[in-house]
Amino acid sequence: LLPRVFVTGVGVVSSIGLGRQAFCRALEEGRSGISPVGSFDASALGRRLAGEVKEFEPSEHLTRAERSRMGRCSAMAVAAARMALDDAEIDAAVTAGPRTAVILGTTMGEAQILGELEHDWITGGPLAVKRALIPQYGSTLLPIHVARAIGAQGTVLTLPAACAAGNYAIGFAADLIRAGRADVVVTGAAEVIQQLQFSGFVRLAAMASERCQPFDLNRQGLLLGEGAGVLVLESEAHVVRRNGQPRAEVGGYGLSCDAYHITRPNPEATGSSFAMRDAIARSGLGPADVDFVNAHGTGTRHNDAAESKMMHDVFGGRRLPISSMKSMLGHCMGAASALEAIGCVFTIETGIYPPTIGYETPDPECDLDVVANVARRGKADVVVNNSLAFGGYNAVATFARPGVLPSPHAWSYPRPHPRADGPPAFSSGSS
Amino acid sequence: VTPLVVTGLGVLSPFGIGQGRFASGIGSTAGPGRESACRVGPGHLAETFDLSKYPGARVAEVPSFDPTPYLGDKGLRSLDRLTKLLLVATRLALGDAGLKRDGAWVGGAPDRVGVVVSNAYGSLEAITELDRVALLEDARYINPSRFPLTVSNSAAGYASIWDDLRAVNVTVTDGNCGALDAVACAGALIEQGRADALLVGGAEAMSEALVLAFDRLGAFGDGACIGEGAAMLALESPWTARARGAAVVCTITGYGTAFEAPDRETALVHASPRALARAIAEALADAGIGAHEVDAVVSGISGLRAFDRAELAAIEAAFVNPCVVAPKLAIGETLGAGGAFGMSAAAALMTPAGGPGQGGRPAAHGSGAAPAEAAGGVAGGAGPGRCVVRGSLRTQPRTVLVTSLGYYGNASALVMCAGAR
Repeated sequence: LLPRVFVTGVGVVSSIGLGRQAFCRALEEGRSGISPVGSFDASALGRRLAGEVKEFEPSEHLTRAERSRMGRCSAMAVAAARMALDDAEIDAAVTAGPRTAVILGTTMGEAQILGELEHDWITGGPLAVKRALIPQYGSTLLPIHVARAIGAQGTVLTLPAACAAGNYAIGFAADLIRAGRADVVVTGAAEVIQQLQFSGFVRLAAMASERCQPFDLNRQGLLLGEGAGVLVLESEAHVVRRNGQPRAEVGGYGLSCDAYHITRPNPEATGSSFAMRDAIARSGLGPADVDFVNAHGTGTRHNDAAESKMMHDVFGGRRLPISSMKSMLGHCMGAASALEAIGCVFTIETGIYPPTIGYETPDPECDLDVVANVARRGKADVVVNNSLAFGGYNAVATFARPGVLPSPHAWSYPRPHPRADGPPAFSSGSS
Repeated sequence: VTPLVVTGLGVLSPFGIGQGRFASGIGSTAGPGRESACRVGPGHLAETFDLSKYPGARVAEVPSFDPTPYLGDKGLRSLDRLTKLLLVATRLALGDAGLKRDGAWVGGAPDRVGVVVSNAYGSLEAITELDRVALLEDARYINPSRFPLTVSNSAAGYASIWDDLRAVNVTVTDGNCGALDAVACAGALIEQGRADALLVGGAEAMSEALVLAFDRLGAFGDGACIGEGAAMLALESPWTARARGAAVVCTITGYGTAFEAPDRETALVHASPRALARAIAEALADAGIGAHEVDAVVSGISGLRAFDRAELAAIEAAFVNPCVVAPKLAIGETLGAGGAFGMSAAAALMTPAGGPGQGGRPAAHGSGAAPAEAAGGVAGGAGPGRCVVRGSLRTQPRTVLVTSLGYYGNASALVMCAGAR
């Protein structure tokens, strides 16, 4: 029998607040975390704004030894993990040992460490490279630092699934519990803004100059953001045993790959629609059961149009409320869908749909019920989290109010892809 | 893991292209006067960058790597070496498994086949290239068509695009252990019916940045060599493989992984025999076998003394007089791809010469057919001769354990058995 998996705690490092309460208050108020870039000189690039996290002070969350061995990305992940465990009211003695795993997503991991190593090498030669900094680069380190901080000794894994990394991590973390390989998984994602990524997005002509306006007719593109979102997932038996309190249940997730273009989504939204349908079906539900969609909503022309197509493909004529937190946070890349998953948990707990700020002019190409500028209250039994990433990665996750989802053993598993244009699948798989 | 069968391999190693070359390469290094593929600079030039600045550096590159026989000559300019290595390995595995022939699907469908790739450091080649432009010229001049390469899942994304693999696409990172973890992820994805077949393995490309890092950390003095390449295995459930009549190379039956923090709070890099011991015990339990049933251990021993000692200690604690094989002594430290070469070596050990799994049939489409010899026409099944570092190798082992020990207290292990189970 597959165990149910619950979210019992969340931790946040974001441009709109640290910790669950500050973050959720800001989401409800529709506060913007966008400000002038302070960590490097972006002026020559013709773009100056991003959702940098400015109030995060590592010394308030990490020991001196921890600070000496990790970069800012891991530091944000460790801080968010500690907040999440506090939020779940789990004792450190409970998470210590091989039954606790850490699975985190990211796009570039310690990009600032790599940036410093490269800067020293390119401007000063090989001997200018700081030896002690070399082992601190590598995305591998994110879950390792978190595992050390909480005493976890099970699986440690990084999923660099670009902007879908949070949903990948949460989905794989829930699988680990359902497969009986862990009782507790600390999961989510972290990302920092670094000059190279910033320049790259400018050169791809994907970055807006002033505002990120998802689904708006006059949207100009994305703004970058950063942060860490960490969730504590537990098996139902573990939550009961320690008398914990579930905030939300983790439902099924759907994955697909566009195999279309390295940076642009498939405008037909074939793969992303499949991922969304599959996420809902793998939760034992149908599209009619979904109450709200936390959008990928980057504010680029291509993404928002493809995501709108996906919504229409899956929900037909039903106008389901949808909103993009990227209007407030910017695009936190690898951390985006983890922070948005925490937004989903907030919606489930409060019935509040966070707004899409800066939404002014509806776009006929994005004919959606966007939660414009002001938070809205509504039914929130089942919430879906979209992420459509670089590399054609589509990952959609479902979250539900505890007690709403049917028992996981009733969730249907294998089903053929709805639009295979190759020869028929040679098997429907096995369960 | 639920049992997974290996139905094809695509391997690009410092011994050349094809599982056959890899298998005979790690075998042919036996005997006096034979060399491993590792080259010491500056006497030997690296093909990818100027090695003369790093006296004492040891590197092993995929020799004279030319992807055009496999990929055609269009669309390659915007790709880096890492992506090209992965694309060729994926295409070879698709062909070897009989999933595709001459670029067309024969045993699979695009929506039911996907990719799970381990990579530890991303495209340092592309990142350095763009950083040079940004730092020495102007960030406004960085090439937007090269920027996507700097993203960690770029190579895997391109693999899906080039071979139309739409089921799932996953990149995993767990240092040297990632490719074994990729198999565990693939097992879950196949069990859940998210794909019928997955191309699973790892890829890592040579770069000056890696050599610089190893050099600055004194790893070459220790005896390490940096390798590169890509190894992809086609994995399916036994039922799926049987249903389409695919030849089975070997079966994966168990997986374990563990993490141990160092004793010192200030330490970061550390070799943990405890973590590997736990991973081995978990893998054996997962496979439902006892230690005495393991005929050989394909280790990640690479020439880094502290790590080699720790790995050997964990293996010798788990087995009585084990036969320990170390392919990395011949091809160098391949990092995120390491476990995938370990699996390829295990497959070579268990496969009779001339049997399936030689990874030789290219599935090239576009212009140009792969030269038969470069595709790995060399007979496989050779034992990894000089790479045996402990014990002696019985002819055609039936059960092989593959181990990986990471640099930070992470470790993974995988049990593979000959034939179909």
